Amino acid sequence: MPGSIDLIIWFLGTAFELTFVVCSLARKSFLRYFFLNLYLLLSMTVSIGRFFILWSSGQGSDQYMYFYFYSDALLTVALFVALISLYSHVLGELRAGEYVKWGAVFLLLGTAGFSYAVVAQSATRLSTSFAYELSQNLYFVGLVLTYILWGAVLKLRETRTRPVQIILSLGLYFSGYAASYALANFSGKHGIIQYICPALGCFLPLSWSLTMLRYTEESRLVPAQLLAVPR
Amino acid sequence: MSRKLGALVLAMGILVGAMGIKTVLSSNSKGTVVIANGPAPMPIPR
Repeated sequence: MPGSIDLIIWFLGTAFELTFVVCSLARKSFLRYFFLNLYLLLSMTVSIGRFFILWSSGQGSDQYMYFYFYSDALLTVALFVALISLYSHVLGELRAGEYVKWGAVFLLLGTAGFSYAVVAQSATRLSTSFAYELSQNLYFVGLVLTYILWGAVLKLRETRTRPVQIILSLGLYFSGYAASYALANFSGKHGIIQYICPALGCFLPLSWSLTMLRYTEESRLVPAQLLAVPR
Repeated sequence: MSRKLGALVLAMGILVGAMGIKTVLSSNSKGTVVIANGPAPMPIPR
């Protein structure tokens, strides 16, 4: 079994995920942010499944490792869809929904094709390697997509507080992931990373829940607070 | 049609950019596994 710090982070993260869904329902925003809710509901379900497998088989078991990586690929695809739904929120007024949809499909297929090309040489455990590679590649695609979306928010002078805060949180989440990935690769040490990654998984639903609790759909930001415009 | 082609080109550009960032960050890779989806503890690496 993992240590007490791991378990506290895990339970807190799952509680924050539930908080976001409950807040969305209470604020009557469940359908407006349906794909964010779907991602967090899936994440909660996966957390429960992981807990039972970890409890019965242990953290070092094959069962936990396989379930962890396959469920992670599923969650990453769900997060990708949630991110695309934020594009629809921001670009909704431009009537660019169809092009966003096509772009997302091309990008997902392209990432899957690239991931397959990378792992195709691996004769053993091809599907596991593919799930892991797809998940990692989608993370970096998500990072680039979030920064492009942030550029669109600034360019279009988006003032709705909720989408802005949600996109900023997502940007921090992906940036934190990329930073921990770089740190792990450069240092080769696994010690700190094993806490950073679950903590990041805890941070995202917490920040989204706070956004949902503190602001209504009518809340607006002053555009000058987002970007210092040269005069 | 041309806009769909534009979406395809943009998607490929994003993919190339994302894989470029990944390659730069993993240039000194030691085969470390990092997955950050959800708050569950990571499997113990072997």
